[in-house]
Amino acid sequence: MNPVWMSQLWAVMRLELKKSFFNRRSFWIYLLALAPVLIFAGHALEVSTKKERRASLAARNTGVTAEKMRQVRRGMTMDEVSKLLGPPAEKIATSRRQGVERQNWLYSDGRSELRVYFADEEVRGTNFRGACSFGEDTIVFSAVYQFFFLRLMVFFGCVFVFINLFRGEMLDKSLHYYLLAPLRREIVVGGKFLAGLLATSVIFASSVALQFLILNLHFEPQVVEQYMGQGNGWHHLMSYLGVTVLACLGYGTVFLTAGMFLRNPLIPAVAIEVWESINGILPAMLRKFSVIYYLRSLTPVEVPIDRGVPPPIAMLAMNVDPAPGWAAVLGLLAVSGAMLFIAARSARGLQINYGAEG
Amino acid sequence: MSTDQIVFENVSKFYGEVLGVNRVTLSIPPGITSLVGPNGSGKTTLMNLMTGLLRPSRGRITVCGLEPSDPEKFFRLVGYCSQFDSFPKGFTGFEFVYSFLRLFGQTHRQASRVAWETIERVGLQEAANRKIAGYSKGMRQRIRLAQAIAHDPRVLILDEPLNGLDPLVRAETIALFRDFAREGRHLIISSHVLHEVDIISDQVILLSSGYVVAEGQIKAVREEIEEHPMQILIRCARPQALASRLFEHEHVVEAKVHTDGGGLLVKTKSADQFYLLLNQVALGGFDIQTVAPVDDDVNSVYGYLIGQEETTR
Repeated sequence: MNPVWMSQLWAVMRLELKKSFFNRRSFWIYLLALAPVLIFAGHALEVSTKKERRASLAARNTGVTAEKMRQVRRGMTMDEVSKLLGPPAEKIATSRRQGVERQNWLYSDGRSELRVYFADEEVRGTNFRGACSFGEDTIVFSAVYQFFFLRLMVFFGCVFVFINLFRGEMLDKSLHYYLLAPLRREIVVGGKFLAGLLATSVIFASSVALQFLILNLHFEPQVVEQYMGQGNGWHHLMSYLGVTVLACLGYGTVFLTAGMFLRNPLIPAVAIEVWESINGILPAMLRKFSVIYYLRSLTPVEVPIDRGVPPPIAMLAMNVDPAPGWAAVLGLLAVSGAMLFIAARSARGLQINYGAEG
Repeated sequence: MSTDQIVFENVSKFYGEVLGVNRVTLSIPPGITSLVGPNGSGKTTLMNLMTGLLRPSRGRITVCGLEPSDPEKFFRLVGYCSQFDSFPKGFTGFEFVYSFLRLFGQTHRQASRVAWETIERVGLQEAANRKIAGYSKGMRQRIRLAQAIAHDPRVLILDEPLNGLDPLVRAETIALFRDFAREGRHLIISSHVLHEVDIISDQVILLSSGYVVAEGQIKAVREEIEEHPMQILIRCARPQALASRLFEHEHVVEAKVHTDGGGLLVKTKSADQFYLLLNQVALGGFDIQTVAPVDDDVNSVYGYLIGQEETTR
């Protein structure tokens, strides 16, 4: 590449990076990126609190195990339960209504917890809550990542950043400075795009790394070490980071191009969001014309669709016929390349008409 | 293809069905050229077309042989200080000039040096490290001027460049323009303040409702307006006697004694013949103190060509 073009590309990026990271509009991007971090921080806090509470309960429950707790059945008497598990760590919600005496007993082995509901000294129900499982948490992480982080946070973050690369400067009436400099319009598009990509990738990848860190914080150090050292920990983390960057690339090119053609960013944003959401129920051919199809194919942990999920939601959540990894990356690069090409072509014919002609 | 002229070949620009400019054919030589016309006459459209911010609906534009569609060469030659009083957010004056110099491919050191030199040239060195958002209108005007001239363009296009400047800075800026023109460069300036145009322009282009109504040196344009004889004010001792002497000549169509009795306002169909006559009259013993044309300024010319009501806007 021509060295002058390189230095011009860098000059455009310098100007745009400042705006992308420190502009007032960027405040929303940081909020979006922070939201899932807060969710996982809340989860970690809840698990830690539960752990402490269960440990305190377990201190009063000698000889209670998870296996024993699972043996409690409806119809057992208080005596039978006491015989099996010993006296409860805590008796709560004792009440008498309509002549029936109700009691709830609480047991714990330090990791899991059992709540037994008695009516007239007979077990009417149980609620067993197991220990927080590493496997479950990785699935929860993947679900939050796919259905919340990618589809909402990264998606709308890219809407804010990339649509404003051109549209924002049209509104600020400052785009003409670029068009009066001796540089090809393709370089303006390229520099702006790379700055947007760098900003969104740094912000959202940092968010993913933080979420991952916080998610693992409440597990025993040896469990985390095993996951990271001998398990798939690093592979998962790198995959999530890579998919995040690819998401910024894919959505970035789509919204950069949309911003060059449409005045109102809400219209393309909503239309594309709907298109991405119904990806699972689209015909196989159409499914490939979306960003989420490739991204979900690359996500390292698959989210099983529970039987209890209503069919319409299950259809939207399913990743039917995922693309192989290499094809997903190539597909995404092809979609992004096509979008960038359209944006660059459109920039060539761009005219400035801020609506203040003399 | 002319390499020192700005050439418009039958250029039209329509915004949908609204006319911007229509069938403009011009060839502008180096020097200070003013685009004159009221708001909406097409001055800004013409400048935006010249710099490629707008594409013509019809026709072709070249600036010193180059077209705006070749920005890499074109904008090394052309600087444009547009009327848009807007800046990239959060920049100081120095950062603004510096950052856009980097787009020219200049190194950090080179861009820094040139930015400081240019900022000094427009007299803003003390405010250079302050945010532009805190600048006065005049300072914003000057920093935009600095950005437009920083790369030392051969063609400088300025849309209402004297707006918001105080008298001292205005005089300095006009001197800067004159320096530019003296070096054989193009300066295209738009203005609707006609007396300002008179002071600074080598030639004018008069615009009305998107059409070019006249172009050239203002005196030459004035002389071509035959239906309005030239008006000349003569300060002299015996105005009545001078009036009867002048009336002997056919090209003198009117002579009125000034209300203060110390002069004569003459209308003539030929300024050249009139000045020759005046030389003879003076040699013949008339005490003539001053002679001054009254209506060969842009204001009068524009009034004659377009209509009095538009010149006052």
